Amino acid sequence: MNTIKTTNINFLNLNSMKTSKFFISALFCLTLITSFTSCSSDDNDPKEVIEEELITDVILTFTNTSDNTDTVVLASIAPDGQDGASTETITGTFTAGATYSLGLVLTNESENPADDVLNDDIIPEADEHFFKYAVSGINLTMTRDSDDTDGAEGSKLGIKTTWVAGAASSGNVQIALIHEPQTTDDSDEWGASTGGSEDLNITFSGVEIE
Amino acid sequence: MNATVKLVGTNKITIADEKGKFTFKDLCDKTYTIEVSHIGCETKRIVLLINGDTYTKINLEHHIEELNEVTLSSDIFIKKTKTGQESIIKTKDLERFSAASIGDALKQVSGVSSINTGNTIVKPMINGLHSSRILILNNNVRLQDQEWGIEHAPNIDINSANQISVIKGSGSLAYGGDAVGGVVVINPNNIILKDTLYGRTILSGQTNGRGYNISSTLNKNYKSGWFAQIQGSYKKNGDFKAPDYNLTNTGLNSVGLATRFGKKKFESGFELYYSYLNSEIGILGASHIGSAFDLERAINLGQPILIEDFSYNINVPKQNITHHLAKANYYKRFQNFGKINLQYDYQNNQRFEFDVRIGDRKNTPAVDLTLQTHTLLADVNLDANLNRKVDFGFMVRYQDNFANPDTGVRRLIPDYNKYDFGVYTTTEWRIHDAIVFDAGLRYDFNRMDAKKFYRKSRWEERGYDVDFPDIIIEETNTQFLTNPVFDYHNISASVGINYRLNEKNQIILNYNLASRPPNASELFSDGLHHSAARFELGDLRFNKEVSNRVSVSHTYNKSKFNLITEVFYNRIKNYIYLRPLDFILTTRGPFPLWSYQQTNASLFGIDLTATYKITNALQWQNKTAFIKGYDVNTDLPLIDIPSFNTINEIKYSNEAWHNFSASLKSDWVLEQNEFPDFNFDVENELNGEMTTIDISSPPPSYHLLHFYSEATFPLRKKTRLNIGLGVNNLLDTSYRNYLNRMRYFANDLGRNITLQVKINY
Repeated sequence: MNTIKTTNINFLNLNSMKTSKFFISALFCLTLITSFTSCSSDDNDPKEVIEEELITDVILTFTNTSDNTDTVVLASIAPDGQDGASTETITGTFTAGATYSLGLVLTNESENPADDVLNDDIIPEADEHFFKYAVSGINLTMTRDSDDTDGAEGSKLGIKTTWVAGAASSGNVQIALIHEPQTTDDSDEWGASTGGSEDLNITFSGVEIE
Repeated sequence: MNATVKLVGTNKITIADEKGKFTFKDLCDKTYTIEVSHIGCETKRIVLLINGDTYTKINLEHHIEELNEVTLSSDIFIKKTKTGQESIIKTKDLERFSAASIGDALKQVSGVSSINTGNTIVKPMINGLHSSRILILNNNVRLQDQEWGIEHAPNIDINSANQISVIKGSGSLAYGGDAVGGVVVINPNNIILKDTLYGRTILSGQTNGRGYNISSTLNKNYKSGWFAQIQGSYKKNGDFKAPDYNLTNTGLNSVGLATRFGKKKFESGFELYYSYLNSEIGILGASHIGSAFDLERAINLGQPILIEDFSYNINVPKQNITHHLAKANYYKRFQNFGKINLQYDYQNNQRFEFDVRIGDRKNTPAVDLTLQTHTLLADVNLDANLNRKVDFGFMVRYQDNFANPDTGVRRLIPDYNKYDFGVYTTTEWRIHDAIVFDAGLRYDFNRMDAKKFYRKSRWEERGYDVDFPDIIIEETNTQFLTNPVFDYHNISASVGINYRLNEKNQIILNYNLASRPPNASELFSDGLHHSAARFELGDLRFNKEVSNRVSVSHTYNKSKFNLITEVFYNRIKNYIYLRPLDFILTTRGPFPLWSYQQTNASLFGIDLTATYKITNALQWQNKTAFIKGYDVNTDLPLIDIPSFNTINEIKYSNEAWHNFSASLKSDWVLEQNEFPDFNFDVENELNGEMTTIDISSPPPSYHLLHFYSEATFPLRKKTRLNIGLGVNNLLDTSYRNYLNRMRYFANDLGRNITLQVKINY
């Protein structure tokens, strides 16, 4: 079975035709559609997008528990937030054998006044967050304090920690903030997790113990 | 019009419509005599041997009529171009793809491939070019649906298409001057001038993804020319499956509706058309990555990080896209002059991309764009002299893009207004029976007027503070609001000749000049593209792309053997492409950075389509595409160029046995051995280890087998039932495709058994 269709026999001897009716109706429809769709949005300038949970400044202050003038400050400043460029600075050196408590400051300086992200956003939602730490090449150990806030999935959040500096050495210190991890584990104190997303993952290079 | 056509020796009589079309169904392979009569014409008898597709001409002697072509074929077969490299996908072939996408159906054509995000976001690629370089026309409306991104599939319900023309190169300039890659013309049903009510329903189910699909069309036509049509379709798929694991979160829900109404006469007519398509598309869950290390882990793991049990649920990441298209057109013919066609169309494209987000923003899309387009077209077709046809017209378009700031994510694509104006003329000369010459010229003006926020740091890093100091209109704490306004003047042209050497051989030569201004994504992209977990950077300094394409086609036609050879060379000045450049260090870790670049490119290739009738019942077909693309400036291969592929199909058909046919198809894709090495090293800051992110290496060659079989049963006088059974990837082969963005994360689809029931009534 085949089907035959032929095309293109155009007979151009046109008769006069009653087209005015179609013309008017078509024109009417055109006008109708045009009139209710062409009122486009006004030409106002676009609004600036306010990014939530932006963190610009992350400052880790280690204070010697027996000498509060002995501090080490690790600061990461990212004026555009997590997705922009950042500058890391290290002020001070750890003293071998000393014990330090870590104080964390996380702020959004792009707002005026600056937003205290740690106290206003992270701690109230501690059950969705988890701080992890890691070191490389430097003899630092850490423990999560007994009065540390409870974080996600039964682990301690990691905002109150105690650090012990061992023999003189230098290396890197890393801090990561995980949002909504699937599992967490703080049994080795540094912290491990699966799933979720990293709000922060910052490495400070060239931290020293003397 | 109204020519009476008789099939002598039978009781079959029909009236040709205003274009001279007529239909005889259910004929056998034998010799027939056709008698054509019309008032004022001498009745003409011709003898025809019907054996599948046959070609002949009927010369009707009439006081005005000229020589006309009559094509006898199994389907209506009207080409849009005379000298383009054009292929037509017919209704019957499209219907097999009812459950798939338009991008899948287009791959029927040799030289057409696709660039995919998974297997439901399928973007057509013609001779290695995609996205803004391909114009898609749906019922003569140029689709405006944010076609700039690779993960933006065309918003067309394949079930609303009746016939698709694929034109390689810029084709007819009436459609636009910027088709550097090609043109896809999608047409709905032809209107039959008959008092009739007819329809079609397709039901299909498939094992992979446990998908099902229903589509129905109903047409009401009147002899007076009035017509109405309504078509609807619903499609649902759950998680697809690779041979060894589920592809979690790859489901799809889609609802489509299209309706037409109007009056079609030879001398005048109008049409109102509206179509709606909503798609909710899941994106492979395992493709959500954080930093560059996650990407490296995913590449090395060899299987998705996230594999869950089958589900119909679509979670984040996902897309939800709604496209409305409304059009009104009117045409009128004038004696001894030609035809005037006016058209207005409006499109509204709403795109949401939902990413894996946390906290309060969990259900807030990361991308929320509304693109509205108004277009007015006027076209005059002077065809009073059929040997010297001239067509000219103009186009005015206004487009408004709105990026909703409530996403809480800095806009990847800014708010913009775009103004286009185009004017064109084309001509077609039939020099004598065997030679047709055509040419066209077009001018387009485009103005892009955007309002975009730039971070001050980015603004300076890109050097815009030096090159564009005057476009800052406002300053905030950390950002500049800028108002870039760019004007582009584009000239496009085409010239071609179609020469029928003899009964068996035909040669087509064609040259196209096409000019494409950079799109919003190429100019303005700036920021983290969450769904792709990468930074994408555009460049305000981009110039327009200019393509010079030369093509030669040769058709060899013998009763048993048919060979189409298409060769092309496309030299593109200022070719814009997106490449992995480096990583960008953030306080979340290192992220891959992809940057749009501009260079000069040359592409060339050869596409073959060969058919051989071994016996009356047995047919072999081969489709082969070979393409190479190079960056002329660096002498490197271009990224994302399809590798050599060849498809062999052997088909058995037996008309006597309810039109039964069965075919086995072999699909062989070679590894792309020419690719640019854009791998980059990322340093683990904690321990200083360097890791190479292998983002460039193409996956190995693969070979797939597909089976398809169908039969048609008459139910009642005008009702036919067609049942089709197919098995895709028969051997459940594991493979990855170079042009699938999900290739880093998972294998492609495993075996898929499909069953389709089609009722024509």
